[in-house]
Amino acid sequence: MTINDYRIDFPILNPQNNEKRIIYLDSACQSLRPRQVIEAMDRYYTQYPACSGRSNHQLAANVTRLVDDARQQMSKLLGASRVEEIIFTRNTTEGINLVANALDFNPGDIVLIGGKEHNSNLIPWQMLVKRRGIQLKILHSHADGSFDLSAFELALSEGVKLVSFGYTSNLDGVTLPVEQIIKLAHKKGALVLLDAAQAAPQRKINVRALDIDFLALSGHKILGPSGTGVLYGKYKLLDGMNPFMVGGDTVASSTYETCEFLPVPEKYEAGLQDYAGIIGLGAAARYLQSVGFDAIQKQEFLLNKIMTEGTNDIQGLHLIGPADPALRGGIFTFYVDGIDSHRIALMLDQMANICVRSGQHCVHSWFNAKGIKGSVRASTYFYNTQEEIELFVENLKKIRKVL
Amino acid sequence: MFCIVAAVVLSILGIFSATNRRLAKEALDCVFRRITFRPCNTGFDEKMKAKILGKVINRSERTARFLSKNFEILAWIFFVLMLASSIFMVRSLYLFYTTGSCNGANDTGFCVFDPTGENNQTSSTTEGACPVPANITDEGGGLTLKGVDLDLWPVMNTDSKNQFVFIGCYSCDYTRKVYPEIRKLVDEFEPEFFFGEYPTKLKTDYLSRIGYCVYNQDQEKYWQMNDAFFAQEKSLLEDVDATREIISNLGLDVNAIESCAEEPTTEDSIQKLFTEIRKTNFYGTPTIFINGEPLVGPKPFRVYAIQLEGLFYWLK
Repeated sequence: MTINDYRIDFPILNPQNNEKRIIYLDSACQSLRPRQVIEAMDRYYTQYPACSGRSNHQLAANVTRLVDDARQQMSKLLGASRVEEIIFTRNTTEGINLVANALDFNPGDIVLIGGKEHNSNLIPWQMLVKRRGIQLKILHSHADGSFDLSAFELALSEGVKLVSFGYTSNLDGVTLPVEQIIKLAHKKGALVLLDAAQAAPQRKINVRALDIDFLALSGHKILGPSGTGVLYGKYKLLDGMNPFMVGGDTVASSTYETCEFLPVPEKYEAGLQDYAGIIGLGAAARYLQSVGFDAIQKQEFLLNKIMTEGTNDIQGLHLIGPADPALRGGIFTFYVDGIDSHRIALMLDQMANICVRSGQHCVHSWFNAKGIKGSVRASTYFYNTQEEIELFVENLKKIRKVL
Repeated sequence: MFCIVAAVVLSILGIFSATNRRLAKEALDCVFRRITFRPCNTGFDEKMKAKILGKVINRSERTARFLSKNFEILAWIFFVLMLASSIFMVRSLYLFYTTGSCNGANDTGFCVFDPTGENNQTSSTTEGACPVPANITDEGGGLTLKGVDLDLWPVMNTDSKNQFVFIGCYSCDYTRKVYPEIRKLVDEFEPEFFFGEYPTKLKTDYLSRIGYCVYNQDQEKYWQMNDAFFAQEKSLLEDVDATREIISNLGLDVNAIESCAEEPTTEDSIQKLFTEIRKTNFYGTPTIFINGEPLVGPKPFRVYAIQLEGLFYWLK
């Protein structure tokens, strides 16, 4: 199948008579959804709008089966050892918060994070510094955004309890050498949590092969519904942790004084879940595997190459991250001297319905440290075409010419 | 400057659209930050500028470049224009409120608040029983009470500090329209009230003589008669029998009034009154002089009240 075959599945990319043609270059924020995902959710609401696991009627049985299937799909997608290692969350942020609050941290424990982390992988740890007295250490990258392995080794020697890195940066698209990172971390007795929000949509992740301890991802970035996500954790680790949120569906029984928690994953999935979302996420995982990560990476590289080469003669344009598009996945982040990033984004939108992100992309800490006001991020996915990218480049040049 | 212009324009548009309301809120926030000497960091101006340039650039890069380079100057120009138009708008509102016309008393130019010019309409006197001299064509400028002898005019409330002179005719549409307001005004503020009846139709000119005789016989009943004539169906004013009935209902001797009306001296007096009325240079009915200031056409009640008692007449 070609990319055009997949585009047909995305309603917004196939405008009807009077609908405007959208060029969506904000997939790092959230991807578009194929009709297979939308229909799967639709079926939940129209055919079996019931609870999973609680009731015994036929509708509930259907939902239970489909939620189990979604867990199975996610487990398969991530290469987990056991399906129970998949915990449904609302997003990556919730997954990271779950680990931060459920893992047993003691005063003085060191958590090591990167220098260009999304707020989701910064603020939860800042809170732990205040609440539990942990130490938060920051590991900065090289000037071009690539990972500084020797600095990492040095940092590990201080006795780190948890290493929490963004697998692929939402700022510059750089993917970390996680295999080496995990080996080194484990050698020093540190656990590894990966924020895979940006990595999961574009690369095959095998948590078992990589020996990842925890991995959080968002459904809305992998063609799934918004408000869905997954936390993967090694069963042994999850089993030994105390639940973060408790209440309905997390316990087998309770008395007025105490309760008996359900095993993993139920003990981490408090309250009535977003069943439509979970079912949609299962459909997304299935769809993603049918596209294949090789095709996705190939397309993203091609598009990023066109963007990089097409814009390198734009005066005053500064690329954030390495110059080689192969190292930036589907992300192309830049700023132009003297032009507000929001203005560029708004103008692209007005001129050609090109949707890009502008601002600090939830990585305020990095921008504030560098003294950069903001940037524009064009992020592609496999459904984007060469023609769309050429239009983006053409309009960007026009803006530079005028402003 | 752009924020101020946008705040005003979007606030008006915001009345009709929620999207504009949200933008207006952003613009107002921006204005507030600017007037408190803080930078406008809401991104509003950037957002609007980008939206404008984004639209323009597809049509003409040259224009977009010009706009981009001169955005602040253009914003200033629009600000000044907006300020000027706002001042004119406030002035027009004030004039409309106080004179019934956006352009000032008796000015018949277009007024957005009175698009049909209803407040300045008059009944023409050119086909009247007593035509106005042809040389009198001024609209407002020549209207005066100077040299007009008001002794012959029917009058009430003679000891009032305010003077209200009313020229109209029983069968004129706009006099009939404004009469109830004037009556209410006279009852409420009790000015020295003169009424000069100037018939515009030959068939109703006999009413002037009737009126003269009634006034001479019983002033109070004269005003009651006026009320009755203005309340009477217009077509019946030409009907002598209907008039007789009104006179009779007032408790007056119809025959005596009719005899008086046929007296040559009555006609002389009436002609003298008409001559005095003409000296005002009026060109249509109703024409009203409040403390000497002329108002032509049927104005709203408030206009007369303001002339009599000032802007805050309703407090009195």
